[in-house]
Amino acid sequence: TPLGPARSLPQGFLLKCLEQVRKIQADGAELQERLCAAHKLCHPEELVLLGHSLGIPQAPLSSCSSQSLQLTSCLDQLHSGLFLYEGLLQALAGISPELAPTLDTLQLDITDFATNIWLQMEDLGVAPAVQPTQGTMPTFTSAFQRRAGGVLVASKLQSFLELAYRVLRYLAEP
Amino acid sequence: QCGHILLSAPIVHLGDQVMASCIINQNCSHLVTEWQIVWKLEPELHPRERQQHLPNGTLQSTITLPHLNHSRVLLSCCLHWGNSLQILDQAELQAGYPPIAPHNLSCIMNLTINSLVCQWEPGPDTHLSTSFTLKSFKSQDQCQTQKDSIPDCVPEDGQSHCSIPRKHLQLYQDMSIWVQARNALGTSISPKLCLAPMDVVKLEPPTLWALEPSPGVAPPQPGCLRLRWETWKPSLYIEQKCELRHQPRLGEAGWDLVSTLPARIPEYELCGLLPSTAYTLQMRCTRWPLPGHWSEWSPSLELITTQR
Repeated sequence: TPLGPARSLPQGFLLKCLEQVRKIQADGAELQERLCAAHKLCHPEELVLLGHSLGIPQAPLSSCSSQSLQLTSCLDQLHSGLFLYEGLLQALAGISPELAPTLDTLQLDITDFATNIWLQMEDLGVAPAVQPTQGTMPTFTSAFQRRAGGVLVASKLQSFLELAYRVLRYLAEP
Repeated sequence: QCGHILLSAPIVHLGDQVMASCIINQNCSHLVTEWQIVWKLEPELHPRERQQHLPNGTLQSTITLPHLNHSRVLLSCCLHWGNSLQILDQAELQAGYPPIAPHNLSCIMNLTINSLVCQWEPGPDTHLSTSFTLKSFKSQDQCQTQKDSIPDCVPEDGQSHCSIPRKHLQLYQDMSIWVQARNALGTSISPKLCLAPMDVVKLEPPTLWALEPSPGVAPPQPGCLRLRWETWKPSLYIEQKCELRHQPRLGEAGWDLVSTLPARIPEYELCGLLPSTAYTLQMRCTRWPLPGHWSEWSPSLELITTQR
């Protein structure tokens, strides 16, 4: 079964990952709540057109779907996705003084999670030879674009985390 | 300068010998009426003294304190001038011990201030100004090798605890932590801890509530209580287990414990109690199955069991 190597994932690692996903989801939800409360930017679906023009990418998790789970590739996509969101959140720096602490916590937690995944891949001997490098990031040229970008990035991140949570919980099942 | 003091060493081990010299040079000689050095020591001590006129015309007095057993001695070198004693120079002697290794180092991840708070026992007083520094580094392989260093954490004066802020932490990776103590006589370090910050998380206590009777729901059985609880909101993302303790409010009975309770359930009925009796209840929770510290006990909830 595609899960053969999954049994090589320590239960402790999976439980920590699940906890980290929940923590990042909580951080992301707080960012969304603050953006909504402070700037009335509450619905990402109102910003789809802007999202296209800004070129905010979506991180793929195609190898993590339960129908076709390939563990090594799934871990790699998880790490790459988290790495992408690290970059997107850095691009949002200066979003606003009130949101900065929330953004910092979100970045720290995502970086922690990405490190956890990478170290586990190294332990399994499946880590890529070199760490990924950040691609070109969208450029936010106004305070509004940074806030709207914050809404879109947070929304995409939540979708990404939902998928990640599902596969991690699946892998953690005894 | 008319006169100056030289010390064999300004800081020594308690009990060691110390020598101090005071040298009065020529250009001071025309001032004095009595060409003799007078030492004033605070606290008063009675050292051996040797005073001599040197070929170059200077006057030198050397005192020896064989076993200095005061942590601080203020030395004043004086000369008689008219009917007063003139202080020409002063020096402070300090004596103490090198620091022993700090011990009982322990750390807790505090999610309220988002910092890793470490505390330790500093060890006996060295009688000298001693600085403590919390040192740490990130690691991957159970702290065998250092990956990234973390800035030193310097506690406030006299404090034996220090907090490493979140931005310097990787919550789920091992880090090596130790305390360094340093004064003029030496340096020592504590045994090293190896921990991942989240594995020493200590949550805030949960909140206990009584369940109000509601229409359509049968009241609790005699000797039972119905209650509910909520874990600390910032820890909702952490899987936890809780335990409940209860005791009759009056009388000498000790606490009874109900352990391994789930962190999140809509309501809970506690039975096996004395009917129509007032009970005090408290709850605490801990991260579980992943490691963590128990929270403190929650504030008490006072409830009365139903009558028979």
